[in-house]
Amino acid sequence: MAVPLAHFQQLLWALNAAVGFVLAALLVLRKNDRVYPAFSFYIFLTLAQAALLFLIYRRWGFSSTLAWPVAWTSQAIVMCARALAVAEVCRHLLSRYAGVWALAWRLLLTSAVLVFLFSLLAMRKGWFSVLTIAQLGLELAIAVAIVGLLLFAKFYDVIPTQPLRSLAIGLCLYSCFSVLNNTVWERFLDQYDALWNLLGMLAFLASLLLWIVALRVPSPAPTREELLLPGSVYPSLSPQINLRLHLLNKQLSQFWNVGESEL
Amino acid sequence: MTFLFIFAGLVVFLLSLLVWALRGPRRNAQKQPDSLSLDDLSRRHIIFLPQIRQILAPQDFSFLASRGSPKLAHRVRKERRGIALAYLAAVQADFRKLLKLARLVTLLSPEVVAVQEFERLRLSCEFSLRYQWVRARLILGPTPLSQLDGLTCIVSGLAVRLESAITELGERAALASELASSPHGHGVNLE
Repeated sequence: MAVPLAHFQQLLWALNAAVGFVLAALLVLRKNDRVYPAFSFYIFLTLAQAALLFLIYRRWGFSSTLAWPVAWTSQAIVMCARALAVAEVCRHLLSRYAGVWALAWRLLLTSAVLVFLFSLLAMRKGWFSVLTIAQLGLELAIAVAIVGLLLFAKFYDVIPTQPLRSLAIGLCLYSCFSVLNNTVWERFLDQYDALWNLLGMLAFLASLLLWIVALRVPSPAPTREELLLPGSVYPSLSPQINLRLHLLNKQLSQFWNVGESEL
Repeated sequence: MTFLFIFAGLVVFLLSLLVWALRGPRRNAQKQPDSLSLDDLSRRHIIFLPQIRQILAPQDFSFLASRGSPKLAHRVRKERRGIALAYLAAVQADFRKLLKLARLVTLLSPEVVAVQEFERLRLSCEFSLRYQWVRARLILGPTPLSQLDGLTCIVSGLAVRLESAITELGERAALASELASSPHGHGVNLE
């Protein structure tokens, strides 16, 4: 028979499920599910995962042979949904600006893939399980993508709306925590196992609360694409810029020499 | 244990970047005017560089020290240093204005070139470092004329770049109307 879950863990699980349900309800009632379909799908999936695992743990036990594959498979599906939610946040923030968006999504995707591969390679020599490595790599990639997105926004003076900002923060913080949690868990597996789920649930609860606050009111619909300048403007600048930069530098150096002799 | 340090370090670094990215504009950045105009772009700081060079020339201070008094020379040096610092702040304000306008042009372009954007990022970083360096040298030690020259080149380069961009846009009125529809206003006024 399974080892019974700790009482506090059960309470926290129930609380997480309740708060997740509130968020899901808010998403539907405030029609935010239409604005953020991928994020909503992710939240619904987490609820479904929690319900499924609860039934399995209750019926067959926490350490049953069925629990492990179901838990990890559902986790893989939820993580893919998370990645889609992150992509949605990125699209909401930058897709209005066609040129910047084209640059940003390529850079962010490349960074995320590189970080994912780095994680796989870095941890390959350790004693980590394949699933943990994949999860850690994906969480780190998500965190990198969100931080990169916010850096892009800062550089181009694009101000994210409050809900979008909260979604990004929540996703990033949870991913960062997951990375730490997974790393520590793998290092101190025996001593840390009981705490691992608990801390993970607490981190997710914090993210859920952040999202509830952000999505308690209807979010503004995505803005249409901005009116753009003619396509020939930007690419035609480069040679002119280089030439004029060169000329200006030459003028400046001559001017400087003249100025210096006059001093 | 190595993994723990590597990933913990990465997470800390990412969280620091997150906090920095979410921070509002800096105090001195808020001081800059809300609107930009083409007139501002044409009034470049470069025209004041000879005067600034002149006020920082060591010959002046030697002359004052020899004909007047060391106290007088010290006072003049202090005052002139204040002027140079104000000039430096103006250069920085120019740079920020130009950068703001460059970003707006990029935001409203259907296609952007990564190399151009990275160049601007590099210019920004270079400017920031040089600015801090020159400022520190002005406050603490001997006058760094060569650095001031380098800093001026960066700003001027960006000014020329933006001037080209504006020229390419053709009709100023058409540009103004398009920029007026930009997000958050961006505080740009090309009228």
